[in-house]
Amino acid sequence: MEFDLKTIEALAPDQASLSAASKLTKRSNWPRLEKNEQQALIWGECQGSGSNPYRVVVDTGDHGYKCTCPSRKFPCKHTLALMWIAATAPASFAAAESTPEWVSDWLGRRRKTTPPPAQLPSGVAAKSIDEAARTDESAAVEDVAAVERREAAQRKRAEDTRQAVSAALDELDQWIADQLRLGLSGFVDGSSDRCRRIAARLVDMKATALAGRIDEIPARLMALRSEEKPDAAIRELGKLVLLAKAWRAAPDDPELKRLVSTSETREQVLANPDARRVESFWEVLGEKIESRRDGLVSHSTWLLDLKSTTPQFAVLLDYFPASAGRRSNAFAPGDRFDAKLVFYPARKPLRALVAERMGEVMSGAWPDFSLGATKDPLAGHASYQDAAPWITDCPLLLPPGAILVDDRGTGWWQAADDPQGIALPIAGAVNQTLLGLDLAATAALWDGARLDLLAAQSGFGRLDLS
Amino acid sequence: MNEGEQTGLATMRDCWITGGASFDLAPTAWKTIADDASADEQERRLLAIAAQALDVALRPAAPKTLKRRPPLPRLALPMLPERLRPLSRAALKHAADARRKTRVVTLIASRGFVLHPMDWMPVASDQNSPDVYAPWIDWQASLDGERHAPQEKLTAENWDEFYPAARRIALAEMRRSEPASARLLVEAKASGEPAEARLALVELMRFGLNPEDAPFLKSLSADRSGKVRELAGRLLARLGEHGRSIDGGPDDAAAELAAFISEGKSGFIRRRSIYTPAKLKSPAQEKRRAELFETCNLVDLAARFSASEPEFIGAWQFGADNNADILIARMVAASGSDATVTHMADALVADGGKPALFVLHLTPRLDSRRKRALVRMILKQANYLNAINLAEGIDAGWLEWDDLSNGSALAALRSAVAGNDDAMRRGADDMLETIGFLATATTAAKLIDEVVAAGMPPAAPSLSVLGLNAALAEHQSRTDT
Repeated sequence: MEFDLKTIEALAPDQASLSAASKLTKRSNWPRLEKNEQQALIWGECQGSGSNPYRVVVDTGDHGYKCTCPSRKFPCKHTLALMWIAATAPASFAAAESTPEWVSDWLGRRRKTTPPPAQLPSGVAAKSIDEAARTDESAAVEDVAAVERREAAQRKRAEDTRQAVSAALDELDQWIADQLRLGLSGFVDGSSDRCRRIAARLVDMKATALAGRIDEIPARLMALRSEEKPDAAIRELGKLVLLAKAWRAAPDDPELKRLVSTSETREQVLANPDARRVESFWEVLGEKIESRRDGLVSHSTWLLDLKSTTPQFAVLLDYFPASAGRRSNAFAPGDRFDAKLVFYPARKPLRALVAERMGEVMSGAWPDFSLGATKDPLAGHASYQDAAPWITDCPLLLPPGAILVDDRGTGWWQAADDPQGIALPIAGAVNQTLLGLDLAATAALWDGARLDLLAAQSGFGRLDLS
Repeated sequence: MNEGEQTGLATMRDCWITGGASFDLAPTAWKTIADDASADEQERRLLAIAAQALDVALRPAAPKTLKRRPPLPRLALPMLPERLRPLSRAALKHAADARRKTRVVTLIASRGFVLHPMDWMPVASDQNSPDVYAPWIDWQASLDGERHAPQEKLTAENWDEFYPAARRIALAEMRRSEPASARLLVEAKASGEPAEARLALVELMRFGLNPEDAPFLKSLSADRSGKVRELAGRLLARLGEHGRSIDGGPDDAAAELAAFISEGKSGFIRRRSIYTPAKLKSPAQEKRRAELFETCNLVDLAARFSASEPEFIGAWQFGADNNADILIARMVAASGSDATVTHMADALVADGGKPALFVLHLTPRLDSRRKRALVRMILKQANYLNAINLAEGIDAGWLEWDDLSNGSALAALRSAVAGNDDAMRRGADDMLETIGFLATATTAAKLIDEVVAAGMPPAAPSLSVLGLNAALAEHQSRTDT
């Protein structure tokens, strides 16, 4: 490895990046650090602020790099931190004979262009590794009075936020009553404008998460046939009423707070002793990447717990600005890994963070969850709704079944042993090949109207459907 | 949810759609929950109950019109091991068109595997994929799912029970082993098929074509389809039968084409005839000559000069007019006898140089040995390496390391990879893809090492077929020839 601290100084875009990178050099931030000396590569996974670890790769030969974080600074703090570890603690990197697929992908896309700069660019003097390394030590020991002042200010801000959110929910209640009075037919037709207006008001009044959810209602309605839209509107607005009432009853409840105003930070979730922790083998079922109207892209990675006796799911959720471009995915569908997940506290915990990753796990079939014994394939959905009726998308593991088509070309999932009974319509176009396969088990999301397929097990092995 | 609640929900729903208060329409139990509130709050509470009722209590009912496709058949070869699927997907993704995708599929089949159906599926009209995929092609084409391709031999009686792809493969097989029986079947059944299917059936006559087929092919001169008549004429020409009378009349296309060719003499002692394309004066003449080369048969043209087919081709002056050379090569491929085709290929490959590249047009008619000789010759000469991408119907997985390293191909590839010329690099990318299909697994692995050492990123997409080829060696279940 050919890093010295001067090179890292030279590459850093500014002093702030160096300072941020210094904080990331702790070994605990990096569940994975590997190198391939033959190809002059080092790579690692860094637990950033998102739920998925960021993947960083650096070519030690020409100092080319790539990180999956959405930072607009190049190189980002994760890249600098990886180089920094390489310079100061090269023994941290485990030797790997081959490169992981995401590293190979990056290698495949890049062409080496220029050799590393022989001379450091001007402006180096403005950035200093020493100063960055001192940042932690120089964090002033605050006096007790200052701490009290800060905490008082925090309490005041929290109280202000709670009042603002309460007022926001009053406005939302009135808005919902107005929609019913004016007629849902008009709401369905003009949902885009109407939702945008109330969402903007909610953002002003600090109910940001709720605003984001309302902003997505028009898109959810648009995906349905016209005869289904009124029922979908009733479901969407009814769930908002329930959520608002639940928040009023328990404004400090972490789940409700997260759904209405703001989410906890990663550190808060990890530090929360009540947060559910599950160490298991996880399979990546699939991913959903959606551009939202508020300019963010939501990236959810759905996981299946392979050690549980009943189907248990987790979702790793990240948001990043659409302007940051498409990020490479941290996990590929079908990946399996051994990890400890920490769930955001909730009545039915789903959203999680990867707290610790122990390594890869061999692929294979899903465990036998005895799905055939459950007569109602939506039983899982009903149990989510009983506990938290404001949830919109519920993960399900469906029993043996098949995909069929109606005369309009819409795909339907139907249980193998109940051809006259329940059938669930599928969102989007269905791959024609799927129509000829028997599905032993199917993982999907159900939103009350459509099934969003994630993955399935069949006689032809695992099927990626997301 | 009981019946009363369902009715109540339906009327409340209708009321909300048009707008207004639904409290009076609500089921009694629901009213109790909303009773003590303001009018707006009543509606909101009822909305919340209705939302939950719709979400949990109602279940979608299966429409009566749901249709199930028949199960996708299992193929005769095992599925590609899970570990190799990402490599096959990468190779398919990198393959720019259907022809290149078919090469990836053929390579995998040559090593004894088939692809996962969600990674690749042949289309219903596919005629180029390996035979092992016939059940999937027929599955794609099937709509009713009623028929099942029988395992027994194809006969006139069970003709309709076979799907088209399975029938095509059974017939081609029969043409190789019992050409007369297969011809009798085609004779009996072709006339009942639509023109497109008839053409495909007659096209199968090329397998094991022999003089006994001539009467049947002649009978097709009265076929309703022009394409079938033309194809039968070309097949007859391959047997040395003249398609049209050589009366020299105004409609005689061979005579018109002969006018575009000058006959001369060469040699001091033994004077022999040579044929040179005449100099053309206009694009219109160019166009007309091309049309004539496409419609005429070699045997008719040679007869115009009182020469046999091999004599005519042997005396053709390759190199005088590139376009004419291409046209005559195509004509030989379409209507030349087997002897003429092999004679022309052998002579041109032996001479080498640019004219040898015209053999590329003959590849659909050449046997494996001659195709391999052509590829080896191209790899030896640095000037026309890219022509290798045009070769069609060549076997997968036979090119040895010596074939690459003895000629100039390897050096040319290395310098293109190491250089900065984008066009050269693109050419090298195409070559690597083609060689990825042709090479043995050992050659593929060695070539990857060579070009990576020359500066190509190890995970470059253009190495995907080579990578797949090398990886397939570990799982090879069948030795290739």
